[in-house]
Amino acid sequence: MIRPEYELILSALLFAIGLWGVMRRRNAIVVLMSLEIVLNAAVMNFVAFSAYANDPKGQVFALLAIAVAAGEAAVGVAIFLTLFKARGTIELDKIRLLRW
Amino acid sequence: MYEYAVLVILFPLIAFVLVGIFGKRLSQGGAYVVVASFVAAFVVSLFLLIQALQNGMLSGGIAEEHVPLIRWIPGPDAADPAEGGIAFNLLIDNLSVVMLVLVSFLAILIATYSIGYMQHEEGKPRYFAEIALFVTGMLGTVSADNFLQLLIFWEIMGLCSYLLIGFWYHKPEAASAAKKAFMVTRIGDLAFLIGVIAIFVVFGTFRFDEIQEKIPALFGGGALDARMMTLIPLLLFGGAVGKSAQFPLHFWLPDAMEGPTPVSALIHAATMVKAGVFLVARSFIFLVPTHEVAGNLEVLHDAVPVTAILTVAVIGAFTAIFAASMALAHYDIKRVLAYSTISQLAYMFLGLGAGAWLMYAEGEANSAGYAAGMFHLMNHAFFKALLFLAAGSVIHAVHTNDMRAMGGLRKHIPWTYRTMLVGSLALAGIPPLSGFWSKDEILAVTFENGASNNLFYLLFAVGLVTAFMTAFYTFRLIFMTFHGEYRGKRAEGIHESPRVMVGPLVVLMGFAAASGFFPFLANGWGNVVFYGEPHAASPLDAFLAFPGAVLVVVSIVVAVSGLLLAWLVYDKRRIHAIVFTRTETRKSIHTALLNRYYIDAAADKLGRSAYLAFARGFDWVDRHVVDGLVNLIATSGRVISRASDAFDRRVIDGAVNRVSLDTVRSSLTLRRIQTGRVANYTGMIAFGMALIILVVFVAKVVLPLFGGG
Repeated sequence: MIRPEYELILSALLFAIGLWGVMRRRNAIVVLMSLEIVLNAAVMNFVAFSAYANDPKGQVFALLAIAVAAGEAAVGVAIFLTLFKARGTIELDKIRLLRW
Repeated sequence: MYEYAVLVILFPLIAFVLVGIFGKRLSQGGAYVVVASFVAAFVVSLFLLIQALQNGMLSGGIAEEHVPLIRWIPGPDAADPAEGGIAFNLLIDNLSVVMLVLVSFLAILIATYSIGYMQHEEGKPRYFAEIALFVTGMLGTVSADNFLQLLIFWEIMGLCSYLLIGFWYHKPEAASAAKKAFMVTRIGDLAFLIGVIAIFVVFGTFRFDEIQEKIPALFGGGALDARMMTLIPLLLFGGAVGKSAQFPLHFWLPDAMEGPTPVSALIHAATMVKAGVFLVARSFIFLVPTHEVAGNLEVLHDAVPVTAILTVAVIGAFTAIFAASMALAHYDIKRVLAYSTISQLAYMFLGLGAGAWLMYAEGEANSAGYAAGMFHLMNHAFFKALLFLAAGSVIHAVHTNDMRAMGGLRKHIPWTYRTMLVGSLALAGIPPLSGFWSKDEILAVTFENGASNNLFYLLFAVGLVTAFMTAFYTFRLIFMTFHGEYRGKRAEGIHESPRVMVGPLVVLMGFAAASGFFPFLANGWGNVVFYGEPHAASPLDAFLAFPGAVLVVVSIVVAVSGLLLAWLVYDKRRIHAIVFTRTETRKSIHTALLNRYYIDAAADKLGRSAYLAFARGFDWVDRHVVDGLVNLIATSGRVISRASDAFDRRVIDGAVNRVSLDTVRSSLTLRRIQTGRVANYTGMIAFGMALIILVVFVAKVVLPLFGGG
């Protein structure tokens, strides 16, 4: 059996990579993909603790989170598509509508 | 009979109400109703006189009867409301009974005469109603039981004199004469009112008899000392001066001639001016206070207000000569008679003053001078009513008042001439007509007083000169009016007045001739005195004894010489009238007399300048005090609002602006956080999350390590 520490460290790494991708990448699609990584870090935690505590509730939450992430990706891609039609780009640096 | 006494006042009062309301529907404007009411009042008065005679009026008794009317204000004690209260009673005594008969009798004659005189006038109902009220006032005045009641009826007369003098109110002279009469008498009335108030304060009652009883007991106490005893009769005399037109309030009476002539007769003979004399007669209870010693009335010597007595006598003598001198120069027939009235009234005051002094000097209630004054009042009432009504008849015939436009009228109006001649002889004091007796009695008493006070010799001399002037101006009037040639425009159409006017003249002529003999019947006129020993002697007694007999001769010589001078100047023209105005001095005297010594003008000027001064004073107060106050309030309001404005602008607006400005400034800085870059926001979220994790870590892990939590 794999010790939960390894799984938690892996999850933290995934989170850090996702966060870095969200903060540093300029392409909206890449940012969306980084967000998926952050979500999967959370799902990883659910699964790890579910196995560790021998409780299936964590796995139910993991499945729910994957479903929500799929919906979120669909909405996100739809927004980007509309954004590209309106502004001609999905570079996040160039889209700064909500500023002072 | 006494219980019917109130009818004397009630009859004319009812006539006033009836004629006042229904006068237009009654024949002759209600004249007959008014005359009938006067006749009824006269009959009742006559019965009262008979009753008084039966009660011993002539034998020196005092037929005094208080007829209760109404209790106006009850006294403080509920058990005995009469005590200290004010009731209206009629006082029927010797004096008032004579006055009632006199007034109602003259009222009958004058009202009858008015039927003819006012035949073609507008507003007859008003005229007769006012006459009725006027007579009511006079009858009420003379029968009053106390000073308050007297004052009330006195003021009714004041009102009626105003209304009747201003009867032709559309004439500006009449309207202003009415105002003058009312306002000038008001000055006197004010003094009278103050006197009445002072009486109530001192005595707690208005009744003559109670006051008379209280004087000896109260005198010397705190409320009633010699000063108060002088002040009260002087204040009452002030009222009499106004009402009887004595100097210095004399100038309303000649102007009162603007009213219809019968009104003048009424004012001069029966009512109004006689009320003043009556008031002084009533105030003898103050002038000569008495107390009872062993059943006899004796004068309370210490309490006699000598100053007041002398004031009455001196004002009387001065006004007598003063008014007579003005009568010398006037041409208006009624004005001459008006000045004559003032002068004769002054005689009465002289008589009353001298009488009071006589009682004071002799120490007993000797009524000689008092009786002489009241005797003259009666005689004057007859002959002055006669003279005025005759003058009215003259005016009725020639339609002018100016004697220069008359002359030779005796051929046209013989009855008027005859009656007026008798009246003039009576006024001039030619024996044996009425004026002679009473005037000489007054002069005799004045002379008698000279022994105790030399001032009275002077007053006597003044009276004598006045007698000369009186004879002169009276016959100047007669000769200018009736003798010589007619100086008017057209002599045709001058005709004698109707019978209803001549009738009263003839009746009055009889009385003017004969009333001088009444004292012989009445055992001396002193019995009209309402207290004290009557003056039982007949008027002849004074004349037969030395120095009385000499005085009589002197007085007759004086009167006849005045008459003769007038005859020489105005009838025979031996002396031309121009000698009176030939030199500068004489001219200026004549002008002064014609202008009534400039007193009217001075009074007007005084009134005007006083009014102006008042107005100026109020103007000053308005400008400086009121305006100043208003301006001060306005200025302070402006200052306060300016301060409030500054506070608003600086502090409140300042605070609001400051807050908004700072908000704007800070938001200008703070809004830079909103970069719009998703990456920044993400970083902030991460940073915040890390912070939260750190806090939780510190709280849960690090602090327990140091033993906390």
